[in-house]
Amino acid sequence: MDESTIDQVLTEDLIVLAEPPANKPDAIEYMLDIAVEAGRVTDRATALEAVLEREKQSTTGVGKGIGIPHAKTDAVREPTVVFTRSTEGIDFDSMDDQPAKLLFLLLVPAEGGEEHLSILSSLSRALMHDEVREDLLAADSSAAVRDIIVDALT
Amino acid sequence: MNESHDTTPQMIQRTVTVVPEEGLHARPASAFVEAANEYEADLQVGPPDADPVDARSMLGVTSLGAKGGDELVLYADGADAEAALDALEDVLSTPEAEFDDE
Repeated sequence: MDESTIDQVLTEDLIVLAEPPANKPDAIEYMLDIAVEAGRVTDRATALEAVLEREKQSTTGVGKGIGIPHAKTDAVREPTVVFTRSTEGIDFDSMDDQPAKLLFLLLVPAEGGEEHLSILSSLSRALMHDEVREDLLAADSSAAVRDIIVDALT
Repeated sequence: MNESHDTTPQMIQRTVTVVPEEGLHARPASAFVEAANEYEADLQVGPPDADPVDARSMLGVTSLGAKGGDELVLYADGADAEAALDALEDVLSTPEAEFDDE
């Protein structure tokens, strides 16, 4: 992904460093509300249903302290990524049993085709690097998080 | 693949086409990682033209972004390598609809 794409997908108001609720369903709603407040979501209930439906298939706790709940849904007009992080970590039913500390909510229009897969895989590839995860855990501002993600993805 | 001395006699590889139409995601991906975790062999998976990732890592498998119809190369090194490749191939060859809810 290039920098201008990332800046459309992950604006600074979608990066919130305040502590999310400590359980998975509430944390997902918390992240969805961030997207709603940023004006990204046309129908909150539909978006939530899509994310929970995907979560029901298999957890999006991908291990190494990361959760990436995601869905394709008509409730967004453009691809949207919300970032937040949990100090204590949240039980995300990850296969490696590590609590999720870095959380990304990914919402992509239903007609988005392969964009969904491409954002998800790019993000996962970036997060495989230990230093990217460490830097994201240590970042002290939304701008810093944004810069780390841009560096890691470009 | 690592260039080092990994090519021991046990090291085997197999190229498999991803059958689930949504690709290696959600249920198929978790079934794949769960299957990989049942074997002792060192297991990796990747596109034919790029470095593979740990087949036991959900993050790694998600990073592949493998779509239905894509080819993936499975690598296995260890005593139960053959059985492990059979199991992983089985997951990749199962249509999406046949993955159960549990």
